[in-house]
Amino acid sequence: MPKRLIGLVLVLPALAVILLLFIVPLAASVVGAFEEKNSYGLGNFTKAFELYRSDVMFTVMIVSLSTVLIGLFSIAIGGYLTLGENPRAVAILRWLYRWPMFIPFIVVGQVLRTFLAKNGLMNNMLVGAGIITPLQAASFLDWRGIVIAFVWKQTPFVTLLVAGAMASVDRGTIEAARNLGASRLRILLEILVPQVTTTLMVGLVLSFVTMMSVLSVPLMINAQSPTMITADIAFRINAYGDYGVANALGLISLAVTACVAWFYLRHSMKERA
Amino acid sequence: MSTAAIPETNAPGFRLDLWWIPRAIVLGLIAFAIFGPLTNLLLWTVAEKWYFPHTLPLEYGFSYWGRVFSPRGNAMESLTNSILVASLTVVVSLALAIPAGYALARLRLPFRAAILFAFLIPQAFPNLPVYVNIARLFYEIGLNGTIAGVVLVHATHGLVYAVWIATAAFAAVDAELEQAARSIGAGALRAFREVTLPLAAPGLLASAIFVFLESLDEFTGSYFVGAPDVNMLPLLLYTAGAGGNYQVASITALLLLIPSVGFMLVVERFLKSDVLSKVGH
Amino acid sequence: MKRLLQAMLVLGLAASPANAAELTVITAGDQNMVDYINEYLAPLFEEQNPGNTVRAVGTGPGDAGSQKILERFEAQKKAGAEKWDTDVAVVHEKFAGPMIEGGYLEAYRDRIATGKMVTRANADMALGAKVTGYVMPMFNSQTAIAYNPALVSNPPKSYEALAAWAKEHPKQFGYNGIKGGASGVSFVMGWIYAFGDDADKLMNGPFDKAETAKWDSAFASLGEFTQNATLTPGNAGTLDLLSRGEIAMGPVWVDMFYSWQANGQLPPDFKLFLPAPGMPGQPMHYVIPANAPNKELAEKFVELATSPKVQAEGIVKRFNWYPGIDAEHVKAELDEATWNKLFVDITPEDLAKYGKPFPIAPYNNAILEAYERQATN
Repeated sequence: MPKRLIGLVLVLPALAVILLLFIVPLAASVVGAFEEKNSYGLGNFTKAFELYRSDVMFTVMIVSLSTVLIGLFSIAIGGYLTLGENPRAVAILRWLYRWPMFIPFIVVGQVLRTFLAKNGLMNNMLVGAGIITPLQAASFLDWRGIVIAFVWKQTPFVTLLVAGAMASVDRGTIEAARNLGASRLRILLEILVPQVTTTLMVGLVLSFVTMMSVLSVPLMINAQSPTMITADIAFRINAYGDYGVANALGLISLAVTACVAWFYLRHSMKERA
Repeated sequence: MSTAAIPETNAPGFRLDLWWIPRAIVLGLIAFAIFGPLTNLLLWTVAEKWYFPHTLPLEYGFSYWGRVFSPRGNAMESLTNSILVASLTVVVSLALAIPAGYALARLRLPFRAAILFAFLIPQAFPNLPVYVNIARLFYEIGLNGTIAGVVLVHATHGLVYAVWIATAAFAAVDAELEQAARSIGAGALRAFREVTLPLAAPGLLASAIFVFLESLDEFTGSYFVGAPDVNMLPLLLYTAGAGGNYQVASITALLLLIPSVGFMLVVERFLKSDVLSKVGH
Repeated sequence: MKRLLQAMLVLGLAASPANAAELTVITAGDQNMVDYINEYLAPLFEEQNPGNTVRAVGTGPGDAGSQKILERFEAQKKAGAEKWDTDVAVVHEKFAGPMIEGGYLEAYRDRIATGKMVTRANADMALGAKVTGYVMPMFNSQTAIAYNPALVSNPPKSYEALAAWAKEHPKQFGYNGIKGGASGVSFVMGWIYAFGDDADKLMNGPFDKAETAKWDSAFASLGEFTQNATLTPGNAGTLDLLSRGEIAMGPVWVDMFYSWQANGQLPPDFKLFLPAPGMPGQPMHYVIPANAPNKELAEKFVELATSPKVQAEGIVKRFNWYPGIDAEHVKAELDEATWNKLFVDITPEDLAKYGKPFPIAPYNNAILEAYERQATN
């Protein structure tokens, strides 16, 4: 059997599940996005842009910012787990960082809403400890709250992947660099990170996509306008029963992720070539 | 007292002690960031009364545990279903993703990028408008209200993690190792099983954790395809959480922590023994 | 494709068969709706109908919860399923019309004994759609303004006074816009009733597109008002901020307000009032799907649930909800003190005067969309 065919046979079962159980049902939604009263057209997209342009921008910015922060934190934590010299500190960090991963998004929303509010637990603790005065207490329940929620929940996910990849980098290279007097920061940035780029990017793309489709966090944390695309989709459906604009927004969201995925896939293609 | 202890430690040990100051500060901040919100969750599970201006609950108790675990509430049955479905979803997703990931990483495939992107779509298109169609499809083929149906729905969402991470994991394994095994006479399958798969195992197991968590937290598919015959814990979590019933939502989330952390520990054990077993070779 | 999927199923996993001997009740709304059915109604029903069991499934609060029930029916209808998986559903008023239009519901009210005990207009018309015969109200809910007496000793009694109060106390009034649940929507509708052109026309129709052009000044003032207000995340978010003392006042669902108080999430001294010229309320309706597997049993269930005894014991006494069937039937089952507990904050006269229905569907949508365009951008 030619190699290409073997490859296709191996991919086919997984692909079939996605195609039959998601993409076929999705097709109706895609068509729906272009349906107007009695014809096909771009009316839903025009309306989506007219009403929700700022929300689309807001979503992209929130999610991008979160992705960058998640990337930085996961490199820092993963780097320390790999290069840290004090076994006890490494063990503590390893034990610490993973917990948020296990909390479902809807609970993350609830927990951070009551934690980050102006008179929430965080400010109460800080005031109680004398770190801030009650007058300095501020609410983080706006775009910052969403970013905090995303970073809180998704950093462990990417860190787990990145730390795993870093651990499998050849220790010999690291030791050699260390013996030559390279600082740990330099080793992290010049040896470890380049070697785990693929894993890091996979983790970040997956995080990006996940955050784009989360509904509960924007609904429970951020009330202001602009809000995130998912909240608008829910609103279009629940308030108006308007699937047309909802599907158009869904396609816009898909297009945004497609750009990010394309960016990664092109990078990984170059790597393979 | 402490002066007596210091001479015992050698010079580098003493230096390390000083390093504990920044370390403790950073670790303390991380602990605050992580456990602050979690404390909130834990407090709500036992709070009977809690409102401003009280920093801590006014009354503690377990009456909401009684509500969650009331005989008609089906919490235990839902938890069992959730664990069963999550485990099966992991099995199905990995069984599908390992060959797919291997092919995507190693073999020259036409439309490779398009295929990888296809797996991303269930996660990338906000699901709300699509689920009517999915539910309809599942009613048509008689999968509604079955464990199998829920597993398949969860697998469509879990596959993105499984396939993408498996692809990255296989790509990270040096292809020459496999070729070396082939050249000393191992068959393709054997070379894969004994060389490539163990090396990619950490990544695959990490993806298993994500698939497990994704399945455990999934609501929409569980509702449309599972309920009312197969009830899952997120249904309770969602109703309570979205309605602002903090106690019930927190208790449910705590319940979900048990299988999540348990699964994680099992996977870690796997990982360690696996990594250890390779040391001797 | 069908065959392939079935083959996959056989290959992979064994299907667990559906157990059809139970009565399935799907309910939108908060967790306490599920608890109400599970802990109160179901045991009672099972006692009266030995051998049968009831199971309850919750779909979540707000319009989203009812929308999920609608979608469930739509999916089964389109799939051509003969026996559906739901016997009784509890949905928000707004979704009764679309469900009838889709042909998902059974007209059963005339067949049950309690059917005659409902004469209130909202059991016949739901946002302008005729629903006579298809629905039985479970309870009536009302939005009102909740306030913290420690911060507001003398609450404003009308929308106008409220607007003035909010101007004097910036950020002390909080509401959840229109995307976070119906308590905010209701506040906006009330605003248009107060400052728009013709409230009666909005509530009773007929729809006239020219009417929608008359709200500009109302929305302009609402936009200005919103600048001075705090936007809260959702129905629960308003209650949350109230309970934290971050806002002093905000629109809430009366039933939700009481359940938060019962849950110890809200101080017991918080109060409610209904501002003039009124705010909307809506009933939750029991409906029976056209293809319900156990129709007779389902009718019996609704009959029990809307009987004066259950309405008195369950709806009024346990939850402090306004009854679904006419008050005279329920009042007879209760002592004076329990009945009056319903009206501690809001008097029956206020309720009669200021408890309004939502606008009919086309106006409802037009107001929401106008809000999106004008009040927030």
